Amino acid sequence: MEAGALSNPVLRARRNLKDRIGDPLLQGLSGLAAAIAVVVILGIAYEVTQEAWPAISKFGIGFLTTNDWNPVTERYGAAPFIYGTVVTSAIALLFAAPLSIAISIYLTELAPSRVRRPVATLVDMLAAIPSVILGLWGILVLGPFMHDTIEPALKGVLGFLPIFSGDPSAFGYLTAALILTIMTTPIITSVVREVFETVPGDLKEGAYALGATRWEMIRQVVLPYSRAGIVGATILGLGRAIGEAIAVAQVIGGATGINISLFHTGSTMAAQIAAQFQGAPGALQKPSLAYLGLILLVFAVIVNITARLIVQRGTLKDTDVTPTEAEAL
Amino acid sequence: MTKRLLSAATALALIFAIAACGSSSSDSSGSSSGPLVGAGSTLVAPLMSKWQSDYASKTEETVTYGAIGSGGGIDQITSRSVDFGASDAPLTPEQFEEADGVEQIPWALSGTVPAYNVSGAPSNLKLSGEVLAGIYLGDITQWDDPAIAKLNPGASLPSTKITPVYRSDGSGDTYAFTNYLSTISPEFKSKVGTSTTVKFPTGVGAEKNDGVAAAISQTDGAIGYVGLAYALSNELSMPLVENSAGNFPEPGVESVEAAADAVSKIGPNNEISLADLPASAKDAYPISTYTYVIVPLESDKADALKKFITYAIGPGQEYGPDLDFAPLPKQVIAAGKKAIAKIGS
Repeated sequence: MEAGALSNPVLRARRNLKDRIGDPLLQGLSGLAAAIAVVVILGIAYEVTQEAWPAISKFGIGFLTTNDWNPVTERYGAAPFIYGTVVTSAIALLFAAPLSIAISIYLTELAPSRVRRPVATLVDMLAAIPSVILGLWGILVLGPFMHDTIEPALKGVLGFLPIFSGDPSAFGYLTAALILTIMTTPIITSVVREVFETVPGDLKEGAYALGATRWEMIRQVVLPYSRAGIVGATILGLGRAIGEAIAVAQVIGGATGINISLFHTGSTMAAQIAAQFQGAPGALQKPSLAYLGLILLVFAVIVNITARLIVQRGTLKDTDVTPTEAEAL
Repeated sequence: MTKRLLSAATALALIFAIAACGSSSSDSSGSSSGPLVGAGSTLVAPLMSKWQSDYASKTEETVTYGAIGSGGGIDQITSRSVDFGASDAPLTPEQFEEADGVEQIPWALSGTVPAYNVSGAPSNLKLSGEVLAGIYLGDITQWDDPAIAKLNPGASLPSTKITPVYRSDGSGDTYAFTNYLSTISPEFKSKVGTSTTVKFPTGVGAEKNDGVAAAISQTDGAIGYVGLAYALSNELSMPLVENSAGNFPEPGVESVEAAADAVSKIGPNNEISLADLPASAKDAYPISTYTYVIVPLESDKADALKKFITYAIGPGQEYGPDLDFAPLPKQVIAAGKKAIAKIGS
């Protein structure tokens, strides 16, 4: 009806000026905003590449596998930091993903309704702690606790594994990974919770009607239905973990080598950039840090695209399945 | 929807984080009016804040200062995004060339001191440069090492493992400390070298003085190095370090002053190294260091800069001792005045 009225030339002519320029203006402004976002991203990629160029042309692709970072001899490589980033993020997700799923199950299926909101808010607030504060807590509380209690215990029980060998240390991969766990848990939880809430009530009630217990219902309805969402959420958490700089720089110990023991000090790409970019003395140090930034940028893009693909594919598959299942029930 | 938003936000946050690091500021310094803007050394920061308030009350001119670290100060003055930079490490010849037309003037005198936390060890433990180099090279790994025991006859030393702590960010303290160790130990010089960031073969890195102090206080058996003023004001326990005369002077203003008095050689760019002290300097503190202001020869604010630096190396020096900075020796002030005369002329 509305469209028909507008296409009538007489009515259209009667509209005042403000209404007539409104739509083109909206289109122009929003288009411009979108264009700015694209330009900013491309501009940053260009700028980082340019900044990194002296290091790229000097070290080439071998930079990725060189296990050294020495400002005095001007020999740089990304291997220690790629290793640190992968190890800390992987451990962080290993802890954060199950924790987030458990929190989400509790908040969506099990918790009494008057508990849900405050607990959910508190979990979200974990994400609001500035990372520098979390890092400080890591130095003053978590680090000494790791050194005195956790790491000696791990060493005692699993010390035969190379990853738990060596002397306990307040600073190192494991401490950094735990800090990252705390940072990624609220992000993963908030997405997983939302995914769980989209599970149709019909399906859940259907399961109960068939005599399922709560656990059976969660295992056979909620979790399979949300699988893609959980994976996507975890990868979003990964994006957070690989990009975190300050808190990791505070607790990882800034060593520039690869060490198998998780107790040992190391560094990540983001932490190394944060610690050394300002005032890098060597002529090649700053370009090398920019090169690290470029690698980190590529990591971040890959992680985000992967997350999107998984979530998209998962959603499509789910909608394919759901109606038939719903009908069957 | 939230998923989309979150992922977009994450991507953006990452990108901006990198952007913040990736783009060096290249904007030129402001107009000829307005406050003087400086950035750099954290070591000089306590003295600088005293200067700022005193200078403002005497001349009604404001100076702002960002304590972002020596390396940062060099970057910022090279790109001319500040009016002056401050660094604890003198510029290298390459940095001088890159900064293109700057003058470097020593304007404060302090030291870098080791600090340690070893339960069961005596306070004022005696160490030598060789022992410190050995610790940071990973050759000396326990507090009851014979080399330490030899310097501390009769002291009971625990067998605690030594955890060396170093600065993971670019720092003038790292420069002063590695410059000293490289002077003492040829092995340290060839294996590690001297710079504001170096690759230590062992130990734990921490950010800034506070990070190093926190790492030391939280780790039994740790030893690290921090600025003299920071160590004294936070009452860290400091070992005594042997000087060229074989004495163990208490770290402080007097011993740093004694070190400065013993060295009269001033380099072509006013750089002065206090690492290699003569044996005649009996009370000299061995890890003393000058800290420098770096100013462009040509700028809109040349007159204001000359005035402020003349104040800093003149009347400003009297506030030093209260803040654990030693006063500049006469010949250094004279060299500074000569350098000031070149600004803006």
